[in-house]
Amino acid sequence: MKKSRIPILLLMSAALLFAACSKSGDGGSKGAAESKQANMPEGPLGKYPEPVTLQIGMEVNSTESFGPGNTFDDNIYTRFVKENINIDVTSAWQAQSGKDYEQKVNLSIASNDLPDAMRVNETAFRAMAKSKMLEDLLPSYNVYASSNMKTAFDKTGGLAMDNVSYDGSMLAFPNIPVPDDSYSLVWIRKDWLDALGLDVPKTPEELKAVARAFVENDMSGTGDTIGMAGPQNGGKLYANFMESTNNTWGFDAIFSSKDAYPGFWVEDKSGNTVYGSILPETKTALAFLAGMYAEGLIDPQIGIRKDSSQLMVSGQTGIIGSVWWMGYWPLPDAWANNPEANWQSYMLQDDKGIVNNHMGTVSTQYVVVRKGYEHPETVVLLNDYLLKYESTFDKEQATIGNYPVRVPIAPFDEIKVTNDAMLQVLRGDKTPEDFDKPEYKPYKLLLDDVQKVASVKKAPFDDLDMKYWDRAADPNSHNRLYSLLVGTHPFNSGENEINRVYSKTYSMTKGMETKWANLKKMEDEVFLKIITGAVDIDAFDQFVADWKKQGGDDITREVIDLTN
Amino acid sequence: MKSRKNYLPYAIMLTPGLVWLFFISILPMFGIVMAFQDYNPGLGIFGSDWVGMDVFKYMLTLSDSKQIFINTVVIALGKIAGNLFIPLVFAILLNEMRLMGLKKSIQTIVYLPYFVSWIILAGILQDLLGYTGPVNMIIKTLGGDPQMFLGKSEWFRQIIVISDVWKNFGYNAIIYLAALTGINPALYEAAAIDGAGRFQRMWHITLPGIAVTVVLILVLSMGSILNAGFDQVYNLYNPLVYSTGDIIDTWVYRTGLLSLQFSLATAVGLLKSAVGFILITIGYGIAYKYANYRIF
Repeated sequence: MKKSRIPILLLMSAALLFAACSKSGDGGSKGAAESKQANMPEGPLGKYPEPVTLQIGMEVNSTESFGPGNTFDDNIYTRFVKENINIDVTSAWQAQSGKDYEQKVNLSIASNDLPDAMRVNETAFRAMAKSKMLEDLLPSYNVYASSNMKTAFDKTGGLAMDNVSYDGSMLAFPNIPVPDDSYSLVWIRKDWLDALGLDVPKTPEELKAVARAFVENDMSGTGDTIGMAGPQNGGKLYANFMESTNNTWGFDAIFSSKDAYPGFWVEDKSGNTVYGSILPETKTALAFLAGMYAEGLIDPQIGIRKDSSQLMVSGQTGIIGSVWWMGYWPLPDAWANNPEANWQSYMLQDDKGIVNNHMGTVSTQYVVVRKGYEHPETVVLLNDYLLKYESTFDKEQATIGNYPVRVPIAPFDEIKVTNDAMLQVLRGDKTPEDFDKPEYKPYKLLLDDVQKVASVKKAPFDDLDMKYWDRAADPNSHNRLYSLLVGTHPFNSGENEINRVYSKTYSMTKGMETKWANLKKMEDEVFLKIITGAVDIDAFDQFVADWKKQGGDDITREVIDLTN
Repeated sequence: MKSRKNYLPYAIMLTPGLVWLFFISILPMFGIVMAFQDYNPGLGIFGSDWVGMDVFKYMLTLSDSKQIFINTVVIALGKIAGNLFIPLVFAILLNEMRLMGLKKSIQTIVYLPYFVSWIILAGILQDLLGYTGPVNMIIKTLGGDPQMFLGKSEWFRQIIVISDVWKNFGYNAIIYLAALTGINPALYEAAAIDGAGRFQRMWHITLPGIAVTVVLILVLSMGSILNAGFDQVYNLYNPLVYSTGDIIDTWVYRTGLLSLQFSLATAVGLLKSAVGFILITIGYGIAYKYANYRIF
């Protein structure tokens, strides 16, 4: 009996030895920047006399294809800031953009081991601000922000600053995105519509008919055409008040066209503040989506699929809900497969012919600086240089996402003004030189855009179909200008009457901090199950009752108190 | 056990394991105080406010708490049963095989999935069980409707258990095969002379011969009754299968690392450890009573 145990013991000790060897000894050394009091730049867009070190949490995209001589740690942007501002940017750690990065940020919060600066989302920023882990950036902002930067902040009517202020301290440097990020679009293969002789769908019912036609005629030619794509695993059915913009592959447009705003705090018919997900309109919209799913018009693998953008790239689907910047990604990959793929963007109307759209909050990304870092002004300087020099960078060497602690700062009307300028230049009403004026300086890429637009857009200029573009002439410019002109057309051209719906709050109340994760999980689960037919639509009523009972009612009262 | 004079080699062999245990398992245990605090990372463990049992009280009001414990136990029990019997049957059958070459190659082949991480295996499973994957192709050819296997809560636990057993049975069988080599061949010869058939020899010699090993494996696995396998479930689940597939570890991960509710996540983790401790103590008692097996 004893003999039989020896091999087991040997095996177990071997396993322990291996485990001991594989222990990773990452000490996380912090290269504290030594600085003297005098080592400060002279003012906005200034330069440090002596080099300073900024250690950041680096968000990387592992599929990035760099030009020669560029890496995540050493690229045109890090060399630019070294030469011009004298900042040595190093990475405390690197993590893949998305879930991995978010997790790494949260880990560094939990262990209170923050890099000097990093870019975080709303949840992480609020947690750090509450825990008093952040440096006040207001003195740096007051001294070092340029007038263009301050203009962009002021154009939000003080909202951007209020949003990051705690007791008079500015605890983060926020992005100021273009409001265009808020618009929920439906991207459709217009070449498929034309081939079938169909009109552009205006209502969700017409969209459903188009999806049916795409599937029945197997427009993808794969034998397995997907009518409309949907969210991938970990994706959102719709944007919500916490993550209020840039929802890709969601059904936002369909919900809004049914006057439903799940995930947002809105007014019900009698004017009370309620959570949109529990209103009857949401039930109607879910029933509509469930009907589409049951007919096989929605991707059968919604919520499970690894990467929904692949459906757009491979040409397997002809309808996908998203936002305006598809021309940057993933359409270039789709055009690589099929240069004729004519993806156009549209919005859906409700039964009164009005386009409803839920709007995002003023800021969605935050650059934070750890308490005690000697040079908090670096993040202001870095973003100010970016604002001024963004158009001069050769983005083929490294994508702009590699610029250290970048948060986009834009005047709210940037895209509309840029688009109008480009159309004027295309029609010959104005020349690019007309826009080389001080009043256009805050629109950071406008001059560059009007100079390049003629090389990629062919006549007729008001027809945006893919065949009237010359992508091969300048693919990089085409990516941007297609996004601007096609992607924002439905809401910037004035052809749709738009009803903009704002959430009553865009941040967590005290009660949500403990209860929201649970309520959100319930909502995600039930709604996805209703759409895929795993449960009946009547499960919605049970969800509403459960939601109210498990803290939803308390939270609603908090939100009402907050907004009164 | 008899007393031994040459302790040193044993002590040396034990040291790396103990060091590992200390840093990976003992040291982080002090973090459990977070369950009794309103943990604020800026102030740390020593500066945060104490809230007593508040976090536990709140935990008990969550409908999730019961669900994730049930899911965890059901999935873990399924895995324990599957990982005990399938490798056992496989090892015994393999042991009866006479062609050594074939025996070794089978053993090597079934051993392979053990070395593949769940991230990769999850991708393979998603493709296999996907809407246009091979499994659904077969169902279609046979005239059935394609099934969304990973999106059906009633299928999820079975898929988790079966895929886990498939991944691990080759490895687990090694332990049984090692135990089988420890059985004295003279017993088989004597039984054969006495007229025992193959099946009788298997029943009366092989099984009792490895009974202690089976019990040992069972006792050791009792400690993991609340470990349903984070990396496997995390890589395969989605909101559609939360009701049957969300386990304690995935819930703690989402609560603690995605929603930043450190105290709540710690409290649930602590409860898990407490229940796990009770279960392994009971298991140890049973093993001592019925198999006379003791570790200490």
